[in-house]
Amino acid sequence: MNIYVINGPNINLLGTREPEIYGKETLKSISKKCIKQGLRDGHDVKFMQSNYEGEIVGWIQNAIIEKVDAIVINAAAYTHTSIAIHDALKSYSGFKIELHISNPHLRETFRHVSYISSVVDAIVAGLGADGYSHVIELLADLQKHYKQKNKSLNTF
Amino acid sequence: MNNNKLLIINGPGLSDLSNLNEMGYGHLTLDMVRKKCAETCEIFGIKMDFRQTDDETELSRFLIEGIEDFDALIINPVGYSHAPSIDFAIYSSAIKMITQQNKPVIEVHISNIFQQDVENTKPIQVPGGEVGFVSGLGIHSYDLAIRAVNKKLSKN
Repeated sequence: MNIYVINGPNINLLGTREPEIYGKETLKSISKKCIKQGLRDGHDVKFMQSNYEGEIVGWIQNAIIEKVDAIVINAAAYTHTSIAIHDALKSYSGFKIELHISNPHLRETFRHVSYISSVVDAIVAGLGADGYSHVIELLADLQKHYKQKNKSLNTF
Repeated sequence: MNNNKLLIINGPGLSDLSNLNEMGYGHLTLDMVRKKCAETCEIFGIKMDFRQTDDETELSRFLIEGIEDFDALIINPVGYSHAPSIDFAIYSSAIKMITQQNKPVIEVHISNIFQQDVENTKPIQVPGGEVGFVSGLGIHSYDLAIRAVNKKLSKN
């Protein structure tokens, strides 16, 4: 499988930014783990991070053009503001998971709204940095589930 | 591993999963979910206690057992947050106590509760608590949660 792992603003500060919430693991370390886990399972994982909304939209559009099998997206603060990312994800028909390191629903109320949750297949949050590797580990199974889901949806 | 007792609670209505078939999650029964959980727990040497109840009072008793007798909790609370008869405080205070004991707690849902065709279910509110959240992966929501529990227990 070809997988894009897309990370939004401030995720590059992992390890130093509010470690009591986001943990001590750096983005580089998470990225290495994801790529390694992917290699083990025969996936091609591309791991990216941007502080710019437009660049993230561009990557999602690229995933559409390249027919990427799955997107794992931690849009960080853009989760709660970006209609542009919502629209881009809506146009992407592959398997898509919204991921967060902490659980936004247990934090400030401005984090309770997600523009992304309604256009993805699933949400994984609050499992720390390990959330990434757990998702990659199960992606093959998850994609099967997704195909089955769409197949049965199409029968209506 | 001594700290390996996992309580899995399934809330009201989950004895019948036929409504999920219509949403495209395939033909799922709670017994299939239980078997899949048992398989995954066996891989990791976790002792699983898998329960379901339609009775809110019994559910509170399960949660209190979770505080006293278990090392980790996975809960599918279904639509607790929009059922008017339920005392939310029971959920949030019991779950908060479990997280304060540094025991992993993960909320799971079979469907993506943020998609428009799903009833108005909201995530559990445990302000300041550490609760994981997995929604929309079908039977694999439980699978991913068990893997995350195992990872957390092995770190404790």
